[in-house]
Amino acid sequence: MQNAKDSFYIALRNRLAALNPERTIMLRGAVRPGILVEEAEAPFNQLPNDVFILRWLGHGADLDLASTLVAEECEILYNTCGCQTFGGLDRGRLLSEMDSELLTILQPFSTPKLSYSTQPPVALLTQVFWDEPVFSPAVTQRDRLSRSAKIMVYGYREPSQDQGE
Amino acid sequence: MPVTWFSAAAPVTRRVRAYFAPVNRAAQQPVLFDPSQPPGFDLDSPPPPWISLGFIQNFTRRPAGKTATIASGVPAAPLEQVRESLRAEVGFQFLAWTKLTMALATGSQHMNLLAPAANAVSVQSGSTAACIVLASADAQKCTTGQIVAVDLDYTGQTGFIGSPVSGAYLRQPLTDVDYLRRITFNVALIARIAGSTLTLAEPLPGGAPPAGAKLQALTGFVDREGGSFYHEWSALFVMEGSQGERIYFQYPRLQPMASAEESAQPLAAKGQGRLERIALNAHFLALPVTDPLDNERVVCYRSFLPAKNALV
Repeated sequence: MQNAKDSFYIALRNRLAALNPERTIMLRGAVRPGILVEEAEAPFNQLPNDVFILRWLGHGADLDLASTLVAEECEILYNTCGCQTFGGLDRGRLLSEMDSELLTILQPFSTPKLSYSTQPPVALLTQVFWDEPVFSPAVTQRDRLSRSAKIMVYGYREPSQDQGE
Repeated sequence: MPVTWFSAAAPVTRRVRAYFAPVNRAAQQPVLFDPSQPPGFDLDSPPPPWISLGFIQNFTRRPAGKTATIASGVPAAPLEQVRESLRAEVGFQFLAWTKLTMALATGSQHMNLLAPAANAVSVQSGSTAACIVLASADAQKCTTGQIVAVDLDYTGQTGFIGSPVSGAYLRQPLTDVDYLRRITFNVALIARIAGSTLTLAEPLPGGAPPAGAKLQALTGFVDREGGSFYHEWSALFVMEGSQGERIYFQYPRLQPMASAEESAQPLAAKGQGRLERIALNAHFLALPVTDPLDNERVVCYRSFLPAKNALV
């Protein structure tokens, strides 16, 4: 499933960079599009604001098919405290903006699967695809508004990837 | 050696898309679709005369033809099978209310509600399906956001009325000069007015207006329970799989077989709200065509375009 997870993340990252180039994060000394995979970064004491954080949860497989279908649940978390210019009073607006951005970058609901374990990445034979997001209610903690969306991401195991996929 | 194929599982789809094209009723000529023709069918911008009606839901196909067996011997055992009748039905729900979806989802004639006291004004030469040129004085009477019908004056024709979409069948001539614009499918929304040119939000389904066409404002649409007219359309339903594969269901001739009916769908889960979406129920009877390939009578084609690299 790693290739599917990587492809899903890269697709969302590229779509976000095209949609809103202003949404960035400084991470490990580099400015990157404002989306990251939690398990691929150093542990956070507190999740960063104004970026999308992908957290991988449940895992499942359907073995009865011609190609095994593997699924993994992705939770996308995002928070905002608003911006300093407005003293944080715009945090609701910024959360709505992130809701809208997430909905936009999730479409279309599929992307080609690539293997990022080599450079340059190698195109595989199938597509990664996912279901529509299920959004949680917004949570308020002091001046911080957060929300998450859960998405089931699917990919087929391919003949060449019995080890890696 | 790198593996260049994979074993494809059953297609996984999210939604079904519907496309319709008018059947030439006078010539009894449906629109046939050939999925093998390059460059393929662009789902977002279908080639004319196909008109996209967006996503539909609860798409069901019911083959209702009957077969019988010819038995032979003692005890009798099936010797041959014969097709006794040929029949198929299609049902689904439209998720939008438009001129076309309403018309398709009713088993009767569908009409435009012409605005009261809205006189038809002549369309000038140079008009296209997306831009209508009027005399300056006439253009000034139009407003952005107005819905308009564009078609000829009715001059006493009988038989199938309307082109390229037949919207009615008349046995006797009428005296209503606006009748063609009342039943026409050439309707659109005015998106912009610049001088004497009206830019339409979407092109007219019937293409550029014919010489002598007139434009008339309308307020909405109406259909009736009863009547004797049945629309007839060629239909194409497309399921797009998660791996890029496609399933096409083509019905060269479809006629609505149920009266206008709606269904209410709760927007939220049960007990979590009272808002309901009103979807248009559509139910069609498939009529046969003669396949030019071998002169067999058929009602539907199902085509499958496998995903790239998928084993077949």
